[in-house]
Amino acid sequence: MTGIFVPEPVVQVRNLGKVYGPFSDETISRTGSSFGSARDAVIGSIVAAWDISFDVQPGEALGIVGESGSGKSTVLRCIAGDVEATTGDIRLANVDEGKVNILDFDASRRRRLRIDQLSVVYQDPAEGLSLGITAGGNIADPLTAAGWRNYSAIRTRAKELLNRTEVPIDRIDDLVRTFSGGMRQRVQIARALANNPGVILLDEPTTGLDASVASGVLDLIRSLLEELNIAAIVVSHDFRVIEMLTERCLVMHHGRIVENTLTDQLLEDPQHPYSQELIAAART
Amino acid sequence: MELSTSDTTLLEVQNLNKSFILHNIDGRTIQVLHDLHFSINAGEHVALAGTSGAGKSTLLRILFQTYSTSTGSILFKLASGEWVDLAQLTDSEIVAIRGREIGYVSQFLRAQPRRSVIDLVTRAGISRGLDNSEAREQAQMTLEKLHIGKPLWEVHTSVLSGGEKQRVNIAAGLISPPRLLLLDEPISALDPENRTLALELIQELTLNGVAVLAVFHDLDAIEQVSHRIIAMEKGRIVQEGPTNTLLPLLRKGYIHS
Amino acid sequence: MTVVSHREPTGVIAALSGSALHDEPAFTVLDEESKREIRRALLHAVCAPGYQVPFGSREMPVARGWGSGGLQITLAIIGSSDTVKVIDQGDDEGVNAVNLRRLVTASTGCEETTEVNEATVVQTRHRIPEDELTSQHTLVLQVPVPEPLRGIERDMRELSRMHAESDYSRMWVSLYEDKVRNGVITQTTGYPCLVNERYVIATTPIPRWDIPRLHNAEFLSLFGAGREKRVYAIPPHTVVEPLTFEDIPFEIEQNENTYCRLCGSNSSFLVQSPAQDDNWSCSDTAWCRARRTK
Repeated sequence: MTGIFVPEPVVQVRNLGKVYGPFSDETISRTGSSFGSARDAVIGSIVAAWDISFDVQPGEALGIVGESGSGKSTVLRCIAGDVEATTGDIRLANVDEGKVNILDFDASRRRRLRIDQLSVVYQDPAEGLSLGITAGGNIADPLTAAGWRNYSAIRTRAKELLNRTEVPIDRIDDLVRTFSGGMRQRVQIARALANNPGVILLDEPTTGLDASVASGVLDLIRSLLEELNIAAIVVSHDFRVIEMLTERCLVMHHGRIVENTLTDQLLEDPQHPYSQELIAAART
Repeated sequence: MELSTSDTTLLEVQNLNKSFILHNIDGRTIQVLHDLHFSINAGEHVALAGTSGAGKSTLLRILFQTYSTSTGSILFKLASGEWVDLAQLTDSEIVAIRGREIGYVSQFLRAQPRRSVIDLVTRAGISRGLDNSEAREQAQMTLEKLHIGKPLWEVHTSVLSGGEKQRVNIAAGLISPPRLLLLDEPISALDPENRTLALELIQELTLNGVAVLAVFHDLDAIEQVSHRIIAMEKGRIVQEGPTNTLLPLLRKGYIHS
Repeated sequence: MTVVSHREPTGVIAALSGSALHDEPAFTVLDEESKREIRRALLHAVCAPGYQVPFGSREMPVARGWGSGGLQITLAIIGSSDTVKVIDQGDDEGVNAVNLRRLVTASTGCEETTEVNEATVVQTRHRIPEDELTSQHTLVLQVPVPEPLRGIERDMRELSRMHAESDYSRMWVSLYEDKVRNGVITQTTGYPCLVNERYVIATTPIPRWDIPRLHNAEFLSLFGAGREKRVYAIPPHTVVEPLTFEDIPFEIEQNENTYCRLCGSNSSFLVQSPAQDDNWSCSDTAWCRARRTK
């Protein structure tokens, strides 16, 4: 133990696991990175994620990188509550002082966390927004859920957020359906920040956007993370995203963490054979 | 160059080895640093000299922990006076001390195309513990000293020339400097006039107690700013001594293993 | 003395009622077990103000959508010592009101009236009478669509969850969108209200004018939806708040330069005769008539 001050984590995940189908200890030991598959060849169950543990400090962005099928999105969705975890312990500093496992909460309490404790920005903005209502309306949603009842206060806050996410304010009353992909993503980010959550989860936030649009959104996310001192978990298969946004990251392969390291160390000195493969492929 | 008066050891490297295991190729191991021992004091500027491939950049990267340590210790004295081994710290601890205690300036500006010059340098200051207005003020001052004038401040870094980018990089690296600064060819793209400005700023660092470990391929630069030279070859330290003594030998190409 | 416009009962009613008005009921529309079940549902409703209680809605001699829910409630709670008033859009003499009233009196032996102060049960569609209702009254409202979130959400389980978790944010968003699109919140009838600070109800289809009457009332209000098979209740002295943003006051209809062409009132809810422009009159016909005869 050194005297270096590392703040208490905002998010603490221990032994998070998600298995689809029945399983035993053997199932776990027959799957994973060294077995080349998350699927148990004997039973057929899929160990989508297993033994996932990490911390996220306040104001820090932690990356989770891996190819599709690695389990990284599963981990994010388990934390978000979109998917029910099989096992694990997740604590949030702002919920019961981090003393309680949120996986023990019932569905409605988990849902309430999503109002002002934990927000998600999905790869597909349509998943995090209602396309048939206005940009302002999409932001009014979490605000009213948190108890906001003053129309002009809601409008002011919505304009503030749209401004901060560089969406033209005169589009506040346009249906989100009429926005381009990059703009939709910005509205999704604005909505996610509405109630100042302590934690934000970003799932492939720029995948699917044109390169120039993506870099704008990435810049935005980065400056927001710096400015707001929010804890973030960024899931991506794209190393440029991880490099731009994170200081530390995890590499996942077939449902397991194979490397947990500093981001620059991963990019320049990857240790695990799979990490080396990934980095080499990214460099070409 | 004389050593500045604050003569306290800040960094002590012991038995440092670094190897890369190339799983991707055939699992072969390549050792790039062999059994390094040296120390650096506060207020001292140490230059790493040697041909390319000698391991100078590798060493800087390990000290910053961009490369992991294979074996050995990297003992560093924190501002609190406590000694820690960088090779044994957790990732979060490294993140916590980077910026404030140890800084790294490479020759290339890190990827951030849409930041304005002033924002970039201000942000660097904030990450070192300055508040918004202090950071902005010092950013302006540092940029002025490097002759990056006000007209360029709001410009995005992507439109700058190579030399301008490098000077912005230096400004970001030197603002509210950390206690140990690692410089990797920071002035390689600068013309003589700007190189002089930059070297002046770098010289000021040691006067303020900062310890600097730098790689310059330009021997004149080494002469101007460094107190001591560590010469490397093929991953080993082959010679070490005061700049006055070693520089003439370097100039004549007399340093070999 | 009540004045009931007298027409000979015809068709089914005639056949079934015979001469048994005011004596033994000649026929039963709802058997005692059914009434008991409905009363039990109503007790649940009263215990959880605003909560939509499902009930086994019976086949009634009125078609679905024509007040079968309200009718079942009235039949379940009314006795031979009660007096019923039935209005449709404020009018005792509309065809539907008349038929329902006859059905109730014929099958339960209770009295009937058009005067509020003589009634004990007032069944209504679309209005609350202008005259003050007191603790002697039970108001039974006919409701076509009991679900206030209809149009916002279709999935039954999700609707259930929203009410259970008091998660009405989508309702608020739709009010927000309404205001954005139209400059005002446009809902005129059936304005959603929060009951007892817990459940949001559809007050459908009474006009805004009548909404304030529901709040902290002396009387019990029972809402019946026969086709949708739900009942809900607002017990006396319950907080009922129309949903609106705190900076957008809830407004009732204004009678700026309109007056009833029959009695001259502009302090009652006025409706317009369809064909004519300036032809306003009181919606509550009994109230209007009483004013004129004074």
